[in-house]
Amino acid sequence: MFTRNRNDRPDIRIAEQLKDVDACLVRFDSFLRAASVSDTSFEALRVLSDSVCEAESTADSSLRRLIDSLGGDLLPATRQDLIEIATSCDRIANKCETYATQSVVQHFRMPEPFCEDILQILSITKGQFVLLEKSIRMLFTEIGKFVKDHGILDDIRREESRVDDIEKDIYERLYATDCGLAEKMQAARFVELVCDISDAIENIADKIQIMLITRKA
Amino acid sequence: MIYLLLIPGLFMGWSLGTNDAANAFGTAVATRVVKYRTAILIIAVFCILGAILGGAGNIDKVAELAESNRVTASLSETLAAIEDGSAEALRLRSALKGAIIFLCAGLTVFVMSYLKFPVSANQSITGAIIGWGLYHANYSDPEVLAVNLPQIGKFAATWVLNPLGAGIISFVLVWLFNRFLYARISSLGAYDKLVRAGYIIAGIFASYSIGINSSANVTALYYDTHFAETGVVSNLLGDARLTATLGGIAIAIGVLTFSKRVMMTVGSSIAEISQTDGFLVILAMSLTIVIMGKWMGIPVSTSQAVVGAVIGAGLTRGVRQVHFGVFRRIAIAWISSPTVAGLATYAIAALTAGYFA
Repeated sequence: MFTRNRNDRPDIRIAEQLKDVDACLVRFDSFLRAASVSDTSFEALRVLSDSVCEAESTADSSLRRLIDSLGGDLLPATRQDLIEIATSCDRIANKCETYATQSVVQHFRMPEPFCEDILQILSITKGQFVLLEKSIRMLFTEIGKFVKDHGILDDIRREESRVDDIEKDIYERLYATDCGLAEKMQAARFVELVCDISDAIENIADKIQIMLITRKA
Repeated sequence: MIYLLLIPGLFMGWSLGTNDAANAFGTAVATRVVKYRTAILIIAVFCILGAILGGAGNIDKVAELAESNRVTASLSETLAAIEDGSAEALRLRSALKGAIIFLCAGLTVFVMSYLKFPVSANQSITGAIIGWGLYHANYSDPEVLAVNLPQIGKFAATWVLNPLGAGIISFVLVWLFNRFLYARISSLGAYDKLVRAGYIIAGIFASYSIGINSSANVTALYYDTHFAETGVVSNLLGDARLTATLGGIAIAIGVLTFSKRVMMTVGSSIAEISQTDGFLVILAMSLTIVIMGKWMGIPVSTSQAVVGAVIGAGLTRGVRQVHFGVFRRIAIAWISSPTVAGLATYAIAALTAGYFA
């Protein structure tokens, strides 16, 4: 009655949420790979899209459990910071879901010359997410050292720059094609959605850095 | 009816509470580590406890200054009054003088608090006593000077030594903590627990120190130091512990009712300090009060100590972290509050010279 369930600890809950967001990213990766193959039917893509939505929904639930677990042991400022980080992580899953559902609804397929680039962006983003998971874990295991050395956050930002370069290159090539402007803009919107995931991860890295600075000795 | 004259002293205590509370939990409340309501409850309880258990020890020091400035009656005056049957009139006059001085000092502190300056209530009282003495005591008399100059010198020295000492202690504590302990903190949870526990322990220590250091000051002028020798109470109160306890209660009421403004100034305006620095600052302030109080033999200003400590902690990160503009304004308030209180009592002493001569 008076002891707290071990799973209700914020570190356990946030790890659980990150795992769910990661699962969503993995399913989104499968979706993009299937979508890049022209033979894949929209029915098959709809099934994969639903599985992305399901993963997003699971990540949503774990976010709510995490928020419930942020009890009185933590200072208000820490609770606020963790809520901001968790809601930002949830936005990663939301972006995946938006891309998957909208592309199915709009019967959109990324033009073939750009499929590889999009898969590369997602691959870099997944690498960024691994670094992000590690950083968040460090908040709960070695914050004292993390405050002094947070080079891992610079690595996340560096990867985001790579994504930015690829994104810029895609736009230049996309607007140089013979497609109609509407199609170009539609494709650009989906490119932006994928790149937004990397941006979201970078924003979380920034939030973590601010969190560390405010707790700097 | 004569006990109504206690009101200005209690008002002084209330004013001191509105100001000095900031020193115990200002940084904790400003950094949202401790809730304002929790902070003021802790201060009130431990301030009263400090007053009951250790406040009486400081009464004699203030009383000595008051007597040499002709605020309270000397032993010979008291004995003479007992002999000619005017002890009750002497009692009324002493209590009235105490009330005037407390009123002037209390109003000065209240105005400074309203303007959000952390000032020294203790030094306002000292300024008010000396202001009275400058009119009534003969400062050209070498004997009067011999009693007053060392006391005045000590109070003036604390303007510099107290914040300087607190700044040095704070700088060393913060540097040692950051250098050797910080990296050992494992998790956010451990960090938060350390910060919260640190603030509460340091705040309790600080509140207790304020109770010991300041409670006597707000009622000491009502205390009859010669009661033990004469057996007749020639002022309002004859019991040192009761006098200090009343002061502690008055301070606690000030803390509970009107302390938030200065608390936020102390906690956030003077220097950018981290959460861990915050409780080390309070610890440094409390240590300074105890050390300086013992060394100088007079009650010292907690407000000056905490401002010095905040600056010391800020300096561990570099000179740019300290808002010297705010510090300058506070320094002016430190000097002006005893001066204003002194001028006020001097003026009243001149106006009432016929009655009190």
